[in-house]
Amino acid sequence: MTARASARRIGLGGITGNPIAFACVLGVMALLLAVPSLHNDYLQVVFRNILMYAAMAYGWNLIGGYTGYVSFGNVTFFGLGAYCAAVLSSHGVQNLFAYVLVAMAVAALFAVVVGLPVLRLRGPYFGIATLGIGLAVGDIVENLDALGGSSGIRLQQVDEAHFAVYYYAMWLVALGAMLATYAIARSKLGYAFVAIRENEDAAAVLGISATRYKITAWAISAMMAGAAGAIFAPANGFIDPSITFATDSNVFPIAMTILGGIGTVAGPFIGALLLAGANELLQRYFVSGHTLFFGAMIVLIVLLLPRGLVWLFGLRGGARAWLRSVQAYKA
Amino acid sequence: MHLVAQDLVNGILAGGIFAVVALGFSLVWGIMNIINLAHGAFIMLGAYATYQLTTSFGLDPFLTLPVSFVLLFALGYLIQRFLINWVARAPILVTFLLTFGLSLLIVNIALIVWSPDTRGVHPPYAGTNFSLGDVTVPWVKLYTLVAALLITGLMQLWLTRSRTGRAIRATSMDIGAAQLSGVRVSQIYAVVFGLGAGLAGVAGTLLSLSYSLTPNMGDPFLIKGFVVCVLGGLGSVQGALIGGLTYGIVEAFATQIDVTIGTQHISGSGLQDAIALVVLLIVLIVRPRGIMGRAVA
Repeated sequence: MTARASARRIGLGGITGNPIAFACVLGVMALLLAVPSLHNDYLQVVFRNILMYAAMAYGWNLIGGYTGYVSFGNVTFFGLGAYCAAVLSSHGVQNLFAYVLVAMAVAALFAVVVGLPVLRLRGPYFGIATLGIGLAVGDIVENLDALGGSSGIRLQQVDEAHFAVYYYAMWLVALGAMLATYAIARSKLGYAFVAIRENEDAAAVLGISATRYKITAWAISAMMAGAAGAIFAPANGFIDPSITFATDSNVFPIAMTILGGIGTVAGPFIGALLLAGANELLQRYFVSGHTLFFGAMIVLIVLLLPRGLVWLFGLRGGARAWLRSVQAYKA
Repeated sequence: MHLVAQDLVNGILAGGIFAVVALGFSLVWGIMNIINLAHGAFIMLGAYATYQLTTSFGLDPFLTLPVSFVLLFALGYLIQRFLINWVARAPILVTFLLTFGLSLLIVNIALIVWSPDTRGVHPPYAGTNFSLGDVTVPWVKLYTLVAALLITGLMQLWLTRSRTGRAIRATSMDIGAAQLSGVRVSQIYAVVFGLGAGLAGVAGTLLSLSYSLTPNMGDPFLIKGFVVCVLGGLGSVQGALIGGLTYGIVEAFATQIDVTIGTQHISGSGLQDAIALVVLLIVLIVRPRGIMGRAVA
């Protein structure tokens, strides 16, 4: 079993990653359900953002981590999802559930249509093409008056009395993305994704229809980001192209997945919790220069834990094993 | 008709800078397999080096070219030696994240040193231009293009003729074989990364003549460099030049497009990037490895 062997080789456990790490993450998710009962709006927004980034990171992890196609354009799906919600809201639809369903459908459809030509490209060429799509869609939205252009759209609140409804919805989306990743990774689909990542030509020889699986991976990845966008838009109350197609929303989920542990089920959540949490804390205590510390933190983590935080859960042999791992990638 | 000629000239003038922007990025990516997200920050540092030298000593901006090259080369060399070298053999995404962190660090240090204020470099010949028939050419942009072409040519000569240049190309072709022939790979990597940073510094100097300076100025050029080097083909000097000129021309023509769909009016100047990127997509679908289409230098 190539996939399992390769996951073992990099010390991440099986195809779903370290089970202890996954159990811990499920525990934290259960705890997060209690956040709205603290009646602290600030904390609620902070943790809702963490859940939002986690959902997007799970989306990226499926195409970038499991299938090995590094996309720099997943923010497109987030943006599309947000704009789906905005358009529905301006037509009088006040149902969060409908927003999410439509956003997932639109995002998946867009992924399939765009994926047909783009997923033929490999490696960096795929990456740059997806980056291009993201920028182009953002530019087009900015120039469409029907979507509010660069001045954006205001959204109605779906439920004036209960602000927490967005929090619970985002929690469900993040949990759904996590469990879907777990289920997919353990199914035939997941093994096909990993086979494509490890050697696409060999996978094709074994009878895996690479194109079909790649498009499937990208469409599911798009649905996760789209759903997050559909909840973000009404929760934020206002969207414009610079918020929804922001570079941060593009780079953060990638950074979170790599920091947490790429191609694992626990990794994206751990990365999101750490990065989004740290960013929030730094912003709070170092009003100017918090990005400086944020940058330094990323540099340090990459140098000290090049395989992601999940790897720590499976570490055997203490400090010496850790030191060996740090040295492993030295030129 | 004269508009077409003017657009073509504007495109070529802009494309020359894009080529230099992409050159260093392309070398680092093609040879070391590192997507250097700090490239935009290096460009910004080069521009600020020129700004400091011109305002403090009254030097001509073009005379600061070697200074920004040397300063940024040294910085890049040290960063590779003491930071990136630790993860040089890690998967591409690890170095991707590392350089993302470095870029945040550098940009935010620059924000503290130079503040977020917009600045500019204005040599005495800044506003002057000359006409060729119907086409107007600003002198500054012409000088910039000449400098860009010279730098690209020198780079190509150095890579093909010099001993170090050959060692670099050997490393990009086959690390193992290069090591067996006595090439010290970690040394070569440091030189290549230094070179990439030095070229970014030079690009920053050239950009400072036509664009305003802020600590965040590098980001759009990072993306342009990204696109140009894929458009032309990774890791090759000719690829960067051809990609840069193509991108510049496409972008210049894109500003002239006006589309009206129903009551919806879309002007090309707002869609400049979108159109350029759609062209990139078409090129990639026809030629999946860029116009110059080879993997190694």
